[in-house]
Amino acid sequence: MNSNSILVFLVLLAPFWSTLVLTVVYPLRRSGKPAGIFSILCILGSLVFSLILLFSKNFDFSFNFSWLPSLSGPMAQVGFWYDKISGMMIIVVSLVALMVQIYSLGYLSSETKPSLGRYFLYQSLFAFSMLGLVLANNFLELFIFWELVGLCSYLLIGFWYHKPEAAKAAVKAFWVTRFGDIGLIIAIILLWNKTGTFDYQTIFSLVESGALEQSFLILISILIFLGAMGKSAQFPLHIWLPDAMEGPTPVSALIHAATMVAAGVYLVIRLFPFFQASPFTLNLIAYIGSFTALLGAVLASKQDDIKRVLAYSTVSQLGFMMAALGVGAWVASYFHLFTHAYFKALLFLAAGSVIHAVGSNSLSAMGKLAQKMKWTSMGFLFGALALSGVWPFSGFFSKDEILLGVITSGKIIPSIFLLLTTFLSGFYIFRVIFLAFFSTAKSQIHPHESPKVMLFPILILAALALSSGLIQQNFLNFLEETPTWHSFSALKVIVPAISLGLGILGIFLAWLFFQKQKKVPQVLALSLRPISKAIDNKFYLDNFYEFMYAQGMLLLSFLIGWIDRYLVDGMVNLAAWSTGRLGVLLRVFQTGKAQDYLIGIGLGVLILIIWIL
Amino acid sequence: MKIFYLEILVLALAFLIFVVDLVFKKQRANLIPWVVSVGLFFILGLSFIYKPQGSFFSGAAVSDSLALFFKKLFLMAGFISSLGVFSFAPERFSKRQMEYFFLLLVSLSGMMLVSGAKELIFLFVSFEIMSFPLYVLAGFLKKEAFSVEAALKFFLLGTVSSALILYGFSFVYGMTGSTYLDKINTAAGNLSGLFYLGISLILAGFCFKIAAVPFHMWVPDTYQGAPTPFVAFLSVAPKAAGFVVLLRLFWEGFLPAQNFWRPQMILLSALSMIVGNLLALPQKNIKRLLAYSGIAHIGYALLGLLVVTHYGISMLLFYLAIYLFANMGAFLIVELVYRTQKSDELEAYAGLAQRSPLVALCLLLFLLSLGGIPFLAGFWAKLYIFLAAAQQKLWGLVFLGAVLSVVALFYYLKIARVMYIQAPLTAERLVNNKAILISIILTVIPLLIFGLYPKPLVELVNQIARQFLP
Repeated sequence: MNSNSILVFLVLLAPFWSTLVLTVVYPLRRSGKPAGIFSILCILGSLVFSLILLFSKNFDFSFNFSWLPSLSGPMAQVGFWYDKISGMMIIVVSLVALMVQIYSLGYLSSETKPSLGRYFLYQSLFAFSMLGLVLANNFLELFIFWELVGLCSYLLIGFWYHKPEAAKAAVKAFWVTRFGDIGLIIAIILLWNKTGTFDYQTIFSLVESGALEQSFLILISILIFLGAMGKSAQFPLHIWLPDAMEGPTPVSALIHAATMVAAGVYLVIRLFPFFQASPFTLNLIAYIGSFTALLGAVLASKQDDIKRVLAYSTVSQLGFMMAALGVGAWVASYFHLFTHAYFKALLFLAAGSVIHAVGSNSLSAMGKLAQKMKWTSMGFLFGALALSGVWPFSGFFSKDEILLGVITSGKIIPSIFLLLTTFLSGFYIFRVIFLAFFSTAKSQIHPHESPKVMLFPILILAALALSSGLIQQNFLNFLEETPTWHSFSALKVIVPAISLGLGILGIFLAWLFFQKQKKVPQVLALSLRPISKAIDNKFYLDNFYEFMYAQGMLLLSFLIGWIDRYLVDGMVNLAAWSTGRLGVLLRVFQTGKAQDYLIGIGLGVLILIIWIL
Repeated sequence: MKIFYLEILVLALAFLIFVVDLVFKKQRANLIPWVVSVGLFFILGLSFIYKPQGSFFSGAAVSDSLALFFKKLFLMAGFISSLGVFSFAPERFSKRQMEYFFLLLVSLSGMMLVSGAKELIFLFVSFEIMSFPLYVLAGFLKKEAFSVEAALKFFLLGTVSSALILYGFSFVYGMTGSTYLDKINTAAGNLSGLFYLGISLILAGFCFKIAAVPFHMWVPDTYQGAPTPFVAFLSVAPKAAGFVVLLRLFWEGFLPAQNFWRPQMILLSALSMIVGNLLALPQKNIKRLLAYSGIAHIGYALLGLLVVTHYGISMLLFYLAIYLFANMGAFLIVELVYRTQKSDELEAYAGLAQRSPLVALCLLLFLLSLGGIPFLAGFWAKLYIFLAAAQQKLWGLVFLGAVLSVVALFYYLKIARVMYIQAPLTAERLVNNKAILISIILTVIPLLIFGLYPKPLVELVNQIARQFLP
């Protein structure tokens, strides 16, 4: 094992160590802030190790330890695959996790000490599981970490478990993502059944050599994508993400914006050689992704809760990334994942700072905050500019990569969806900006700037939101992938211009309606009313699911319950009862008298001797 | 002589505490457990460093990797159980601590000797060196009628079984003309009749020692009456010693007659699994419950012995090691609860999770490991032994074992239910005894580690099995 493999190990070990210590050493956990500092130091360690790994320029190595030995070789392996893709991702994860954990010290300062310690325990566990998910080199390990991040998400959404909405949202998130996970686990089992291995690279080479037939590939890739849809909140499984905003805001920033929800996208990127082999699935991904992008953007435009705007925006941006994957532009998608992680975390942290100051999530309770909270407003503005794709902010570069990729692929409907999304992104995020930071002030609130410990991460992320797009060329070169669409030189100018124009148009309209308070013309307003009503009801999707759940599932569960209670339980009880009776009967022989025991021995000897005859 | 250095050190320790007891009259109650624990820990450490190989008494005793493996197991069991005796209730115990430890150490040295025995007389003598102190220790609480009765039963039945063994030995010697296992092995190929009678008697005798059905009846009574830290030792170490003897006798001596003794062992294994598991179900006393569950475990372990392959042996070793930790840990917790509540009944465990969450969690882990739930080491132990049996197409036994594992879960989880769901009868916390807590933690850790990553131990036992039968 060379020094680099040890470094990979250390990246994982640091948050694991923190989890372990915080679990076992409960005086530390119950001390609150020291537990947080400990956890922060550990994740800082991960970041440092991942940076050292990146600069040591030794990519693409993989190593395995056998796990679960059986009679014929190990049943499964634990291993890690460090290459350029996972190498970039661990930096994103550890960096955002570090920022969020520092921020949490300020944001959750009013929590009691034990619950703060519990929070950091979950955070450490999440960092460990997410890094493990990124570095995994086989499906079994992936699934374990996949479920672990799901668990952390559940625990952190329900962090304020005494709030009924939070507890409900946690269960909903778990329930919906599990639905996708069923697809993933079925895919893993089928793959293992067919190939006998969990290893990514072995499976890739099998795919490449054409050993697996097309129909099988399509089935498996759709099932895997189902898992990715659940995690990455793609239509129609996106409904859990807005509700997940019941968790503390830093959690939303880390898990439900930057890292965990991107795991679905990352999974498809990681397994791209696999997906590439089934064009049908890629097509499906492109349509689902672009539709999700548009849907999220539309829904984001009419929310009153600032975090819900951001949540729908995340849904929309994840759709963007998926759409790019669907047309084969995985580098563009990855680049957008990279920039989005920073600017969306930034938006969330700035929103958290606002919520911390105002004491409410509601946009109607905010106004003219820019005067009182200069740094926070600046951070939010930077994030918003990046999101709407204004030059030179990071979103401009990554979004244009995706648009270029989708447009050159010639898929018309996704292209239109994504262009509309670009327009709406500028609109909905600047709606927030104008309503919260600039328009008329509300008298009942007295906002104040947040403490330094919260501003520091915001400023770092703001700097990243500004600069991370500028490394576009380096990023593409680094992944050694010159996208095909780069040869169309005319589009290279036109597409960015169009998208920039659309973004600025959105911003302008937002300014018109929400800063200048211009009324929408009567005719337009009337014709838009049904749509507006549908948006208010989230396009009735939640109602539909609720109906399905309430009627269909309950009926089914009633049936199954009846069978279970009277048929299965009956048999089980019969078996248990007769076993118990047998035990009681056998007790008769245990008389407590040594003589009887001797008779037992004598009988035993007799039985053994009878064998000879 | 150097192959016996571990035994010599253990005996030296026994005589050292003799001296300690005489010299330090005042502090002896505190001092002796310390001396023994530290001494055993030291010897255990040595056994990992210095591993002499060779034979002695012209091949009557050997020191091979199998013997060393078992010696380590015995030393661990001795060490853990000596921690469990710390600050034992003075009115029951403290003045005679020296006797207790002296006997324990002598028994320990007997076990260690027997693990290398390859000659019938040497084997028998060392086995009796092990057994006699156990009879005394079982009745150590001599003012309690239960304890005396338990010891007397154990002794009476034990001597009968020893007689059976000797009787069997005499037939084997008569038919083969040798007491050395190697020579018996070469002569055994073309024998039958009285030789088989000898084997049957020997098997019966040792099945009493390992408590396989129908030779198991002393077990619940003895466990119930004897001091619990001693039961922790009795329930694992002498059983492991019985298995090493069976391994030596039946694999090194009587292997050519395997078609004769394999069906016998299959019967004993099946009976032990059935009777042990079924009788554990109605028990209300936790020591009796664990006694019956132990009998069932012996049935599973016998599966490994009768599968005549390398895997069988290595999985038997794996099973015994894991069983040692889980069973000792469970009995140590029984001791801890007894010290607080003066009861071994199941009701004493009501609401334990609220009163002492850590102890309850540990007991839960021990029970789950004994029940074979992933990812605790007991799961692999069971799985591997089933795999080894399945490889030899013993489907019936595997099926029986699997079904009875479910039955076993029922009574293990019954304890868990009492601990976690029932309301506590008292709010009293458990006695805070650091030594016992340490020994409990020491037994939990291997279960967790090998549960997640069994590979090192599996490789070790595979290697030993390969060296044992080249």
